Amino acid sequence: MTRFGRRDENLPDLMAEAALAAMTDAGIERPDGLVVAAMNPEEFTGEGNFASLIATRIGLSQVPALRVETATSSGVAAVYAAYAAIAAGFHRSMLVVGGEKMTHIATPRVSDIIGRSIDPYEKSYGTTMPALAGLVTRAAMHRRGLTLKEISQVAVKNHAHAVHNPFAHYREPVTLETVMESRLVADPLRLFHCCPISDGGAALVLTAERRAVRIAGIGQGADTIAMRYRNDLTSFRATQAAAEAAYRMAGFGAARVEVAEIHDAFTPFELISLEDTGLVPSGKAGRATLDGETAIGGRLPVNPSGGLKARGHPLAATGISQLVELCWQLRGRAEGRQVQARVGLAQSIGGLATNNWVTLVEASR
Amino acid sequence: MADLRASRCPRCRRLVVPPASICPDHPVKMEAAVLPPVGEVVSFTTLHSPPEGFRAPLHIALVQLEGGARLFCHGTATEGVRIGSHVAVEAVDSVFYFSHIGFTDRARLFWKRAGARGERVAAIGKSVVKGVWNRRPRGKD
Repeated sequence: MTRFGRRDENLPDLMAEAALAAMTDAGIERPDGLVVAAMNPEEFTGEGNFASLIATRIGLSQVPALRVETATSSGVAAVYAAYAAIAAGFHRSMLVVGGEKMTHIATPRVSDIIGRSIDPYEKSYGTTMPALAGLVTRAAMHRRGLTLKEISQVAVKNHAHAVHNPFAHYREPVTLETVMESRLVADPLRLFHCCPISDGGAALVLTAERRAVRIAGIGQGADTIAMRYRNDLTSFRATQAAAEAAYRMAGFGAARVEVAEIHDAFTPFELISLEDTGLVPSGKAGRATLDGETAIGGRLPVNPSGGLKARGHPLAATGISQLVELCWQLRGRAEGRQVQARVGLAQSIGGLATNNWVTLVEASR
Repeated sequence: MADLRASRCPRCRRLVVPPASICPDHPVKMEAAVLPPVGEVVSFTTLHSPPEGFRAPLHIALVQLEGGARLFCHGTATEGVRIGSHVAVEAVDSVFYFSHIGFTDRARLFWKRAGARGERVAAIGKSVVKGVWNRRPRGKD
């Protein structure tokens, strides 16, 4: 993957950097197929026919390529498509590359483009992703007893982790006070509860042959794009369904997971997601975070990379970068932030939890 | 206050506002329905830098009507509003607005919903008030 953050390179160059690094690492020069993920290059960078554009830019113009999109979880959707192509016997090796370039555009415009993943009728009320996240957060604080301190501690922890990640957007620690006193964005959500706007690319190579890390399970879950059609705001059915499918495929449950990368686009989502995936018992995620259980060195390190909050969130790169981090962790190559783990879980949220994924990876014995 | 136009799924009885042609959970046509314009706040937020075309602060609430349908609303303020607060919903140019319902409004709605018995109690209340009003001391004029 590339370093995430404010990058001067264009999107194809960022994706090429990530793709070449992954192919070099895997020792593969020409994969049988290519799956490209980008959420909205048409509007962010004005680029179309995107799979072919990327294939040519990375020197794989004769390799069959396709693009997939599931909003902010597009990266994992691409991993799924590649996995399925190998599992079906179509191909022996697949390159997956995702990326997004946004920082060259003014923030209100970026917010508007990301907001295309909201139900158009609800968007007509001025709702943005932070607005919907604000509604979820207030409901979760009221019904599940989450506190301002708990959702703020997630930011403190993830920033502390990112200090040791050279690929992270933000590598400076933040204090609880800074987070809790940052300006209100969508009451009760504050600026430091929200992930930044980042550029970056991430890539993975999947092969049919045995390697150091294998995908043990991958599951997708869906929910209505309209928030008003949901009966519960305080948990994400799409994550629960994705987790159930991934555990079923893997043949093991949450108890075997030793490290997790969670979609903390808004810090309360980390707490909600830890419970949705069954990694932490219902109602305990806030307390576990305050007690340091989810920090590096704790019982279950969560987002050792810094998460979306601090590593950054270049949309379609994010889901892939979670799996890159887990591969590094399971192979013992996460220098400075290494945890001891054989099984990792990654959870990715598409839109406001309309199209979510849970992936389980395991170190080969 | 005008009733709100909604639609109901013939398969699962789910209600949605505004009306939709097909149920989000079943590929079947929905039927027309109307719902009383009062509900409870599910959640609410205030945007301090709203998108273009909206003025700050932008108050947005998700409101649940009787029967379970939920809808997005704008509001002029969220002071005194809590999750579970009773609100009245009104459409202005097909945009929904919520307003906090105070104690007296709530009592009136309660009597209205209580039907004939409520009407009777309300009528008694009205005549008592009228009597007191009529018997108030008046000056010469």
